[in-house]
Amino acid sequence: MKNNDAELLWLDEHHEVTASELLELSGLSAEELEWLVETGALNPIRCVPAAVTQQSQAWCFSGQCLVAIRTVSRLKRDFDLAPDALSLTLVLLERIRVLEQQLLQNNSQA
Amino acid sequence: MKFKDYYEILGVSRTATSDEIKKAYRKLAHQYHPDISKDPAGEEKFKEIGEAYATLKDSEKRAAYDALGSHPSGQEFRPPPNWSGSQGGQSYSFDDIDLSDLFANFAGRRQGPHQGGHRPMPGQDYELAVQISLEDAYHGAMVDLNFTVPEYDNQGQLKRVAHTFKARIPKGVSHGQKLLLRGKGGKGANGGKNGNLYLNISFIAHPLFRVAEHDLLIDLPVTVWEATLGATVKVPTLDGPVNLKIPAGMNSGKKLRIKGHGLPKQNQAHGDLFAVLQIVVTPNPSEQEVALMKQLADISSFNPRTHFGLDTTNEK
Repeated sequence: MKNNDAELLWLDEHHEVTASELLELSGLSAEELEWLVETGALNPIRCVPAAVTQQSQAWCFSGQCLVAIRTVSRLKRDFDLAPDALSLTLVLLERIRVLEQQLLQNNSQA
Repeated sequence: MKFKDYYEILGVSRTATSDEIKKAYRKLAHQYHPDISKDPAGEEKFKEIGEAYATLKDSEKRAAYDALGSHPSGQEFRPPPNWSGSQGGQSYSFDDIDLSDLFANFAGRRQGPHQGGHRPMPGQDYELAVQISLEDAYHGAMVDLNFTVPEYDNQGQLKRVAHTFKARIPKGVSHGQKLLLRGKGGKGANGGKNGNLYLNISFIAHPLFRVAEHDLLIDLPVTVWEATLGATVKVPTLDGPVNLKIPAGMNSGKKLRIKGHGLPKQNQAHGDLFAVLQIVVTPNPSEQEVALMKQLADISSFNPRTHFGLDTTNEK
């Protein structure tokens, strides 16, 4: 029954996750993550300079993307998604997220 | 432990080939996968389907499952003595576990007699929907989280354990906010990491306020004379009532901003509260009220419909 603030992570655009966190939390492989970035389905928000040697490990992403990445990771596991399907699904999920947000916005303004 | 008929769940016969099992699984997965299905029961259904498939697609697990015999679904049963799945060092209290726990653990134990049961197994991730009131979102809140997870006790026995703990939902969350509590999911075994807990925050609809990101909207009913002459009225906010000055000559739909009385943002700032004016006519006017309105109608030359460009000489 203790307070768990230290372990609380906000998954939104105001917070970032590192590539290694993303891999750990989503269950995707480093190759799959690189493919998602390569195809433009996922955009790192910045790179951590020099400190790390491997390019892919220097990426930082918006905390928001973890939700969709976990979804594609689940879909890959449950449907054996091929790499192309993986990146297409991610793009479409993001489009749905934006549309749903707009819908919510419009409804509350009404 | 209750028996589950994995063949029945996938809708295949006990003699089905692995191809038939895969096909049946894929068809059902398309129908019930929680990430694509709109069926609210989909998640529970897919869990069953996934569990059945995970066991039947693996020839070794399938053989162990077949060795359990066939029982009516839901019937209490125990694996026969010397059942292959229970070799390898783990002991079970069969009463407290689910059939799926038995097979989930199976993979870890068949690495060989020496490693059996000692391979690090990460704990499972869990997702919980957490509904909070706007008041809780405004002030921050402690919520009780309850869920059950399979866990090993000190004797190495697998049991389903009810988890309850308090989590602080910090100020600044928005509707649809996702939070991650690291290590608060299922416990890892043999040195494996604990799973994580994902919280999907949503706001319970409020009788007065609507939410637009961190701003709030409230419908503010006003009388014809308040809208015409202006007025100062009391408006509720999540932080107690405030006096709002309505300027003279306000129409319905006009939004008046009450600065800083929206929901808190993560950076300590607050969104705003918008009062949306709604001019409301007197529902049961007295004779005197009607007389005054008639008098107003007679002396006023105001026509709000000039933009129609119609000849209004015959209007009454």
